[in-house]
Amino acid sequence: MSPRTKWVVWAVLGAVLAVALTVGASRPGAPRTDAQKAASIDASLRCPSCDGVSVLDSSASTAVAIRSVVATRVREGQTTTEIESFLESRYGEGILLRPPVSGSSATLWVLPLVGLCTAGVILGLVVWRRGHLARVEVSQEDRALVEEALRGKRAGIEPELRTDPHAGSASGPGVDGSDDANRAGGNTESQRLHV
Amino acid sequence: MSPVRRSHLVRWISITALVVGGVVVGVVATLPPASYTEVYSPLLGKEAPSVKGPTLTGSTFDLSSLRGRWVLLDFFASWCGPCQQEGSSLAAFARQHPTGSGVSLVGVVFDDTTANARRFLAQTGGNWPAVVDPNGQIALDYGVRGPPEAFIISPEGVVVTHVDGAVTDAGFKSLLSEAEKDV
Repeated sequence: MSPRTKWVVWAVLGAVLAVALTVGASRPGAPRTDAQKAASIDASLRCPSCDGVSVLDSSASTAVAIRSVVATRVREGQTTTEIESFLESRYGEGILLRPPVSGSSATLWVLPLVGLCTAGVILGLVVWRRGHLARVEVSQEDRALVEEALRGKRAGIEPELRTDPHAGSASGPGVDGSDDANRAGGNTESQRLHV
Repeated sequence: MSPVRRSHLVRWISITALVVGGVVVGVVATLPPASYTEVYSPLLGKEAPSVKGPTLTGSTFDLSSLRGRWVLLDFFASWCGPCQQEGSSLAAFARQHPTGSGVSLVGVVFDDTTANARRFLAQTGGNWPAVVDPNGQIALDYGVRGPPEAFIISPEGVVVTHVDGAVTDAGFKSLLSEAEKDV
């Protein structure tokens, strides 16, 4: 199977999985009792006096009051939207643990996605550039320049070492690559060869 | 740009950023702590929710009876530290605005026992009506998260200001005069 075919197969499988999960998650379940509906609403509300705790999980007096109001309104037959709207009219949008996807709150949903996509694009560009650079072919001209520079460097080092046997292997200008490169006239060439 | 120039530039940018950051931290750290802040409420500009119920003295209170007057509605509790700081300011405010002055101070007990709230008010020297809110419904209607929180209600019954935190006597005067100017 060619790489392109493999990608197509995986993409199709991924799409089927996404659709199946979406459909499954959105299917209405069995009818719930008032207590279950109220608990579900409480779980979606932020306790006003606490930090990151839902009304369902909090024992603060504000949460207790909200649970009481939610239970009453559920018994009266109000919908989740109506109850949430009432509480928003008192506490603001912040009462909802999950902010609505509209108005100024839409940025809370959009920004992470934008950030993720941007990061993905940058990463893709970096990977592509590295791969692209790695595939650059060295031309014959560049090979000739490298050989010439190496020849010149060898010619520059060896005579110095022979004439001064007591100078030691790590000392003397002969060991300094840049001096040798300059003497051989290869400094410019070696710079050019840094691909 | 040569590497030497680049390293100089990076050094200068780093030094500048450090100096600016240090100045900002120094200014913020030495600022006096904010005692209260005017905060957003969805009720601003809307009709004030009803406040009706028994008070700590046993009488019955109804906010609608104060139509035509400015009302400072204060949510408090005896266990609340900033409320204790604010107590003397509220007492001074109440003295400056006696009955008939066009400004009324009303308290709402937030998550507290009647006995503790009564003792707290007595210690403060408060003689203004304090409505009992045992189920927290009044607090919920006003979107109160925790005391001390206060609302200024116009003579037309509209919420014009929402304040979070302990307010000083001067703060109350300033908030009220601002509210009177805006209406």
